[in-house]
Amino acid sequence: MRISVVGSVSLHFLILLFTIVSLPLFNNDELEMPPVIQVELIEIAEKTNVPQISKKKEDKKPEKENKKEEQKLNQPIQKPKEEKSNEKVKDPSTEEKIENKKIEEKMIQNMPVRKPEIKKKDKFDPLKLAELIDKQKDTKQTNPEDIVEKDYEALDSTPSLDKRLTLSEEDAIRAQFMQCWSIPLGIPYDETMIVKIKIFLNTDGSLLKPPEVVQHERMNKPGEKYFRTLAESALRAVRRCDPIKAPEAERYDNWKNLQLNFDPREILRG
Amino acid sequence: MKRLLVCLFPLILFTNISFAIIEIDITEGNREPLPLAISEFFHDNNQEIIDKKITENIRTVISDDLERSGLFSSIDDKAFIQTNRAMHLKPRFADWRLIKAQGLLTGELAIEDDRLRVEFRLWDTFAEKEIEGLVLITTIDNWRRISHMIADKIYERLTGEEGYFDTRIVYVAEEGPKNKRIKKLAIMDQDGANHKFLTSGKELVLTPRFNPVRQEITYLSYFKNLPRVYLLNIQTGIQEVVGDFPGMTFAPRFSPDGGKIIMSLAREGNSDLYVMDLTNRVVERLTDSPAIDTSPSYSPDGKKITFNSDRGGSQQIYVMDSNGRNQKRISKEGGNYATPVWSPRGDLIAFTKFYQGQYFIGVMRTDGSGERLLTENWYQEAPSWSSNGRVLIFYRETKANDAGDGHSSSIWSIDLTGFNERKIITPVDASDPSWSKLIQ
Repeated sequence: MRISVVGSVSLHFLILLFTIVSLPLFNNDELEMPPVIQVELIEIAEKTNVPQISKKKEDKKPEKENKKEEQKLNQPIQKPKEEKSNEKVKDPSTEEKIENKKIEEKMIQNMPVRKPEIKKKDKFDPLKLAELIDKQKDTKQTNPEDIVEKDYEALDSTPSLDKRLTLSEEDAIRAQFMQCWSIPLGIPYDETMIVKIKIFLNTDGSLLKPPEVVQHERMNKPGEKYFRTLAESALRAVRRCDPIKAPEAERYDNWKNLQLNFDPREILRG
Repeated sequence: MKRLLVCLFPLILFTNISFAIIEIDITEGNREPLPLAISEFFHDNNQEIIDKKITENIRTVISDDLERSGLFSSIDDKAFIQTNRAMHLKPRFADWRLIKAQGLLTGELAIEDDRLRVEFRLWDTFAEKEIEGLVLITTIDNWRRISHMIADKIYERLTGEEGYFDTRIVYVAEEGPKNKRIKKLAIMDQDGANHKFLTSGKELVLTPRFNPVRQEITYLSYFKNLPRVYLLNIQTGIQEVVGDFPGMTFAPRFSPDGGKIIMSLAREGNSDLYVMDLTNRVVERLTDSPAIDTSPSYSPDGKKITFNSDRGGSQQIYVMDSNGRNQKRISKEGGNYATPVWSPRGDLIAFTKFYQGQYFIGVMRTDGSGERLLTENWYQEAPSWSSNGRVLIFYRETKANDAGDGHSSSIWSIDLTGFNERKIITPVDASDPSWSKLIQ
């Protein structure tokens, strides 16, 4: 009896200890994420992905310099593996070159079209911006792999938990739904007027199955006619945008399921 | 023990994984009017319907109502690709989406026992389903009201808000030179149709107000040079004198239940607010300040009253309880304020503001915050709310030239957003509009 009690207590203690010790470890990556710098809102993909590729081919020196700076920044989370991958990029084989070229072409094709905004923001020094963004990206994802390799998802098709859309991919998707959404301007302001819709997409950006309103129960409640109107307008927007111009198919796992939060509160507040 | 740990490990691991779905916030959208395809309702070649052009007329009225709201646009029927009968039974949604229609209105007309039967369906072309449908039966000549009612149903279904098309506007019709103006009481549908004069113009009439419950108006008229308040039932035409009120300059406004009227009266040179119970005609004084208190208006729940007073040195907007207690100034910005009117939705107070030589129509929250000026002009005043608290009508005057010519006044409407300002066409000059509730 005593043995089983002691065993049980110690087991519980172990589990508790394990949870306390292990959870921060798992969250460690996120905790070390640097605060998002406002400048980074500007088209990361266009500025990071493309220059990275061109730098790699045309001019290796600035890249090396950048890498040094990045390494300095990332010292605490650097791992030996990174050096290997860096070496790989610095001295690529001819096969890799051909493959990279193909992927580069594909990336350029699939890049979100936000050209006018890029022009607008030309007042920023693009080189500095690229540097900043590179740093941000490196530290944010804490991925030891070289950035160029990381962008080439074709090289690594296994889904990863920390994969996210780039800000510009998010922006491109957001912009499409903004165009499609006719805001029901008649509804009065209410702090709870936000509709969350889950969408499930095919690789070509079309809807795999009907969109789901997360708060669907509220839609049919009596006295919630404003919410129903808002939810219906959001559903129309989703269907009107079908199919969306999707990010690259290689990164399908990242965007196959999305939650769209249609939030007109600022507009309704007037 | 090992087994237990092996079982627990994935659980702890997956606590992180469960947050994988990416959320995208969409905080802006398209503010363009929602494109609707409004078809002509089909019928079995009924000669009376053809002769009276009822199909065309119904489509025009519905389409005009919705377009005037500024929230919808009507797609040209030349782009339609399905027959009226077929689309009413089963629209080819993909085809309608092609012409960018987000909603489709179809319908059928028939005459049964000398009565017009109107059946309509509203389809969501993206959800591919019927979202509203109704059958309305009326006398044949009542097609216009039926059209307004259908427009109201569509508006309500797509905006979540009650429509305001089946309503009327009463106003003061003005004719003649400025120094010898003839002022008559007139009434019309909100789109200007069914216009008629209610008084002959022998006596000056001022500030008509709609009863929020009944199709009844109150107005001020001068009888033997004394201000007299009348009640007029629009449906029966019965007119009744409420009383003579010396020193009154504006007609009273009704309480939300229509049972009381609230007014400002000048007694012994001092203007204060009074309320009269219409059943027993007992008058009760609400304010007692040495300043001029005018233009009272009830909140929709009847618990508060907003009014205008110069007790602080300039004309400002105040709010008090309906028994006259807790008087508090709410207007905070510079300038003089007048004619506050509480929104039927309860969230806003509309007003006229005079500031730096210009007149503005604006709205503010009931605590005075969030003041928004919707329109600016040389002279405009007297806002009146649509029944859903979404649109304001007011009147605007044009400046006369040095010779005294060129003066005119007309009624305008403006959306709460400050967009969609439109002139309401009247046969003669118009002022002091008051908007009715939905006709029951």
